[in-house]
Amino acid sequence: MGNFKDKAAIVGIGATEFSKKSGRSELRLAVEAVTAALADAGVSPAEVDGISTYTIENNGEVDVFRNIGGRDLKFFSRTHYGGGAACAPILQAAMAVATGVANVVVCYRAMNERSEYRFGKPLQFAVPTTENAMFYYQTLHGLQTPAALIGMMMRRYMHETGTTSEDFANVAIAARRHAATNPNAFFYGKPITREDYMNSRMIADPFRLLDCCQESDGGVAVVITSAERARSLRQKPALIRAAAQGAPAGTGNFMSYYRDDISPTDEVRLVGEQLYDTARLTPADIQVAVLYDHFGPTVLPSLEGLGFCNRGEAKDFIKNGNIEIGGALPVNTNGGQVGEAYIHGMNGIAEAVRQIRGTAVNQVSGVENVIVTAGAGVPTSGIILGAA
Amino acid sequence: MNEKDRPDMQESPQKPTHCATSDFAFFYAGLEADQLLIQKCSACGALRNPPGPMCPVCSSLEWTTVAAKGSGAVYSYTVHYHPPLAGFETPHPVVLVALDEGVRFIGSLRGVPINAIRIGMPVRVEFAVRDGLSTFNFRPA
Repeated sequence: MGNFKDKAAIVGIGATEFSKKSGRSELRLAVEAVTAALADAGVSPAEVDGISTYTIENNGEVDVFRNIGGRDLKFFSRTHYGGGAACAPILQAAMAVATGVANVVVCYRAMNERSEYRFGKPLQFAVPTTENAMFYYQTLHGLQTPAALIGMMMRRYMHETGTTSEDFANVAIAARRHAATNPNAFFYGKPITREDYMNSRMIADPFRLLDCCQESDGGVAVVITSAERARSLRQKPALIRAAAQGAPAGTGNFMSYYRDDISPTDEVRLVGEQLYDTARLTPADIQVAVLYDHFGPTVLPSLEGLGFCNRGEAKDFIKNGNIEIGGALPVNTNGGQVGEAYIHGMNGIAEAVRQIRGTAVNQVSGVENVIVTAGAGVPTSGIILGAA
Repeated sequence: MNEKDRPDMQESPQKPTHCATSDFAFFYAGLEADQLLIQKCSACGALRNPPGPMCPVCSSLEWTTVAAKGSGAVYSYTVHYHPPLAGFETPHPVVLVALDEGVRFIGSLRGVPINAIRIGMPVRVEFAVRDGLSTFNFRPA
């Protein structure tokens, strides 16, 4: 590992507004976000020669490329496993740039996930791929929504670590505090109290409504090029210190019920170990963490998997505002996917870039390195971004 | 001739089917005989679930099955409240059960008040038919 440390950088970020009804096509959201990111970077669409996104993305690479006026697309790749993909397009882009396969790679995620379909709805399957056959093996028992599938993992985590709903509340309160001061967040100006949290209705035990990410319409894109090129572009580069994927033995697509530890930890640990190894950093070198919060409580095992605290100690680590602005490790300073919007993790990557640039609305001082994770409880990914 | 009038174009009532690859066929066939079948490696004897063509311990492709005795303990659980779930009343409890044989199975939980579900509680398999398909639930032992 380590061959591409600091060789590529995120040089542009772009986004649409985040809403519950965008009123325009997903492709339009994608091309708005992509061209905004290119404009932010000061790079022409004609220079884009690589695209990387998620398999679950509805907007095809060549369709985006045609609309932005691209010329020669030489690298295109997609990564599977829903939100577990989130940081993997950055890995793909960094590898492509570091090896000279592509010079300018755009990564995007754009969807009308709230207004056109609902990500939180029960999953149903017809075509018997190996993946669908595995899904169906559990969904036939009514274990059918992302909340219930991850809830099953987190109920065991609570049992083994003594973590309670009162502890989960700290994650939701932190996210909504950060969203409350972020004008781009759906929950701008709407912080919650502990009482709000404890009174919010159950969605899938142990998850309450205020644990769940939103369903959102919107698009986010980032532009990656070489660190060398980045030096002459208009934005302060966010160097890609490391990027990695992880699916240790027994990790399923929401189905890690048959391995020793069913909590959503092992896949995050495998990603974290590679990230620190590649970046030659330790958790003590990280000033901000963007931890995937499809369900806020998974931030706890993620903190443990990434080595910010030991197994079972996250419930204490997150107390007293320690993951809020002003705490030892501010987490999801944009409000996360619970508070800002659910753009499948790509909005978290943009927040990490802003923290490196020093332009976040909830800016942490002296940021050198930011760690970002993708969805836990599925095969996943992560990155560490750093200041030049 | 209208297409609907052609005998070969008429819809015949379809038997409901499981979404499954052939690797799962033994399992769903077992349910029809009121058996919860566990794959057993013919080479090293390791039990495995979920089903698959190869033993993850020794890579053997040879396997047989053993019928689970049907008793175990709740390893984890969730209760689905929202949104509505086709075919199930909500709140709907689902358990991950560690069978006495040492393998885990997901199943619906019946016969327990929601607030009485506990990790570690002993349960038993019961066979059932749902939406025309053979399936199983767990109940308190």
